[in-house]
Amino acid sequence: MTMTARTPTLRFVASRLLYTAVVLLGVLVVVFALIHLVPGDPVRIALGTRYSPETYQALRHASGLDRPIAAQFLSYLGGAVTGDLGVSFRNGQPVTLILLDRLPATLSLAGVGVVIALVIALPLGTLAALREGRAVDGAIRVVSQFGVSVPDFWIGMLLITLFSAVLGLLPSSGYVPIVEDPVQWLRRVTLPALTIGLVAGSIMTRYVRAAVIDVASSGYVRTAESKGLGRAVVVGRHIGRNALVPVLTITGIQLATMLGGVIVVEVVFAWPGLGRLMYDSVASRDYPVIQGAVLMIAALFLAINLIVDILYSVIDPRIRLS
Amino acid sequence: MKHRLPLAVGALATALALALTGCSAGTGVDVPSGGHTILRAAIAGEPDQLDPQKTSSYFSFEVLENVFDTLVEPDENLEMQPALATSWDLSDDQLVWTFHLRSGVTFQDGTPFTAADVVYSYDRIIDDKLANSWRFSTVTDVTAVDDSTVTITVSAPTPNLLSSIGGFKGMAIVEKANVESGDIATKPIGTGPFALASYTPGDSIELTANPHYWGGAPKIDGIDYTFVSEGSTAIAALKAGEIDWTDSIPAQQLDSLKSDDSLTVGTTPSNDYWYLAMNEKRAPYDDVRVRQAIAYAVDRDAIAQVAAYGTATVNELAIPKGSAWYTKYDTYSTDIDKARSLLAAAGVGPFTMDLLVSSDYPETVSAAQLIADELQPLGITVKIRTLDFASWLDEQDSGHFDMLMMGWLGNIDPDDFYYSQHHTGGGSNAQGYSNPEVDKLLDAGRTETDVDARKKIYAQAATIIADDVSYLYLYNPSVIQAYSTKLSGYVVRGDRAVRFRDVSLG
Repeated sequence: MTMTARTPTLRFVASRLLYTAVVLLGVLVVVFALIHLVPGDPVRIALGTRYSPETYQALRHASGLDRPIAAQFLSYLGGAVTGDLGVSFRNGQPVTLILLDRLPATLSLAGVGVVIALVIALPLGTLAALREGRAVDGAIRVVSQFGVSVPDFWIGMLLITLFSAVLGLLPSSGYVPIVEDPVQWLRRVTLPALTIGLVAGSIMTRYVRAAVIDVASSGYVRTAESKGLGRAVVVGRHIGRNALVPVLTITGIQLATMLGGVIVVEVVFAWPGLGRLMYDSVASRDYPVIQGAVLMIAALFLAINLIVDILYSVIDPRIRLS
Repeated sequence: MKHRLPLAVGALATALALALTGCSAGTGVDVPSGGHTILRAAIAGEPDQLDPQKTSSYFSFEVLENVFDTLVEPDENLEMQPALATSWDLSDDQLVWTFHLRSGVTFQDGTPFTAADVVYSYDRIIDDKLANSWRFSTVTDVTAVDDSTVTITVSAPTPNLLSSIGGFKGMAIVEKANVESGDIATKPIGTGPFALASYTPGDSIELTANPHYWGGAPKIDGIDYTFVSEGSTAIAALKAGEIDWTDSIPAQQLDSLKSDDSLTVGTTPSNDYWYLAMNEKRAPYDDVRVRQAIAYAVDRDAIAQVAAYGTATVNELAIPKGSAWYTKYDTYSTDIDKARSLLAAAGVGPFTMDLLVSSDYPETVSAAQLIADELQPLGITVKIRTLDFASWLDEQDSGHFDMLMMGWLGNIDPDDFYYSQHHTGGGSNAQGYSNPEVDKLLDAGRTETDVDARKKIYAQAATIIADDVSYLYLYNPSVIQAYSTKLSGYVVRGDRAVRFRDVSLG
C-alpha cells in the first residue's frame, strides 16, 4: 500500500468514528425521551401489588427518579461518556456488566446464524440465478418465499419438536459458553441458530439470486464468455466476485438484526441474549438497562456498517472509501 | 474467496454432524454424572433479584423458597407451623408476642443464627421502608431478649401476625453481612435447605444441598433452575427428559400432558382469584344496580372455561372452598332478564364500556372477548383495551377505565383479601368503593382475636362486598405443575410455594 492509498482510509475511519459518536448521542437522547414518555412506572412494577406510600417514595428516591428529568439525563450522559451506564433498577447491578454478560450468547447465536444463512443462500441463490426461469429456479423461489413468510417462532417450535422431543438428538433450550464446553455450546446453539439461519437464509437467497442475475447479464460477463473462458471461471471469478457487493450488504443487515436481539427466538429457546434482556427490561421499565442495551445494539450496528464498508473496497478496488 | 467458502461449509457440516452424533452415542441429554442427583427445574421467567425482602417477583420466590426460612411457615393447609421459631407465646393483653428460636441453626456460610438476625431482618424491612413494611403496620418494636428469644410488640391486637411474618419468603431472615456487602441481590445466604452455588443471568441458577439444614439434609444434591418462558419449549424439555419439573405450562396443553405416562401433572386449587372491578367514580357504574346487572349478565362457568381451560373453580366470592375462611354465597346465577330489569330500573340506556385487560395475563384477554359478547344483549358495547402490565397499572392507578379484569395472588389471611381492596381509601381500592359498614367490619376484623368471631366478621364483610359488586368475583384458578414420575415426595401447594427440601429423584 502506498501513502496515497492509506491517507484517505485513515481520514475515512476518523470521520466514521466522529459520525458514530454523533449517532450514538442521538440514539441516547431519543431512547431516554421515549422510555420516559411511555406509560408505566418502574417503581410501581418493582413493588408489586401492595405497598405503602412511604415505601413508594423511598424507592423512587433511591432510584433517583424523584429528580428533575433534565438532571437525570445530564447525570446519565456524564456517566455514559466515561463508560458508566448506571445500575439496574431491578437488582442494582452495573448495566455495563449486565450487557457484557449477555454479549457472548448473542454473538454465538448471530455468528452461527449468519453462517447457516450464507451456507443456504449462496449456493441456492446462485443456482437459481444460473437456471433462471427453469424448474430449479421456481422450486428455490417457492421454498425461499415459504421461509420468508413463516414466523420464526413456529420454525423454532417445529425444530424443538423434531430434534428434541421426537428424535432426542439435541437439547431444546439453554446455553453453554464456548470456553466452558465447545461441544455442548455447538449442540445448544444449533437449533436457535438454524431457526434464525433458515429465515435469514431465505431472505438472502432472493438477494443472491437477484445479484447474480444482474451481474450475469452485464457486458463483461458476455465478454468473458465470448473469450471462451470456462463456465466455472466465469461464474467464480466474474460473476461471483461482482455479485458479492450487494450480497455483503444484505449479510451485514441480517447480522446486525441478529445482534440486535432476536427476541422471539431467544424466548422460544430460553437463550440468554440481548433480546430477552431487552424484553424483560421493557416489561419492568428498567430504564438504565433499556438505555444501555439500545446503545450497545446501535454501536454494534454501526460497527458492522463500518466493516461492511471497508470490505466493499477490499472486494472491489474500484470502490473508494471516502 | 473461491477456496475459503467451501472449506467453511465443510467445517460447519462436520461440526454439526459431530454435534448431532455426539449426543446420541452418549449418556443422553445432560444426565448428571457420578451418581449425583440434581433436580432440574424450568421456571417461567427470570428472577429480577435474589434479595427476598426486596423482590416482588414470583420467579425469585420459586428459588428463594428453598434458600431462606421465616420464623413460622405455612403447611399445606396454610396453617402456620414452627420454622426458625419453635414456639411462641402471646401476652394477656395480646400486645407482646414472644418467639423462642430454634437452637443450633447456622446460615449457609457457617455463621450461627441468633435473635439479633431476626431483629436486623425485621428492622430492615421497617426502617428501609421495603415493599413488605405494610405487613408490620401495627408493629412498634422488635427486641432480642437473649440469643434465642425475640419479642414483637404491637400497638393493637394483631391476630394475623403469624401469617404476616411467615406467609411467604418476603419476610425471610437475612444475614446482616450478606446485606451490607450488597451480595444478597445475586449471592444470597440463608438458613434454608439449599445454598446458592451459582447464578448465570439470563440462563440459570444452581443450588446445592445444605448438609447442616436444621430440618435434615435434603435427599437430592442440588437444584438447577432454568428460565423458560415459552411453555411449549418447557413441555418439550420435560418430555425429552432434559428437565424434571416445570410450571411453565400453557393451559391448552394440559390434556396432552395428562395423557403422557412419563409425567405427573399436579394440580391443586389455589387461594388466588380473578375478578372484574367497575369504576365507581364514573357513571353509570356509580349505581349499584348497573354493577349488579353486569354481575347477572356474565357467565362465570363460560369465562373460567375460556380463560383457564376448565382447570378453575368458579366462585362468587374471593376465598376458595376448602379454605378455613370460606363463606358460602350464591346470588348471581346468570340471568339476562334480571340484568335487563336492573338496568331499566337504573334508567340506563345503551352505553359503551372501556374494558382494561393486560397482555401479560392472557386469561384476561380471552375472558374479555367473551365478556364483550355476554354484555352485548344488554345494549352495552364493550371496547377492549389490552396493555402491557406496566401501562395497565398506570391506567388503573389514574382511574382511566370503566371496568378492568385482574387477579390477586398469594393471599392467606382474610385481611389480605379484603382490606386494601375494599376499605374506603384502601391502597388497592382503584374502583373507589366506599361503604361505612364494610369499613367498620374490616377494621374490627384486623384486631378481633377470637377466631370464630373473626370468621363471622369476614363472612359478613365479604357478603356485602359481593352484594355491592365492589369486585365482581369470577373464579379461583388452580396451581398447575408438571414433573417427571421419578420425582417423589413433592407436593403442589395452593399458595404456589415451590418446596424441594423433601423430594427425592429416581
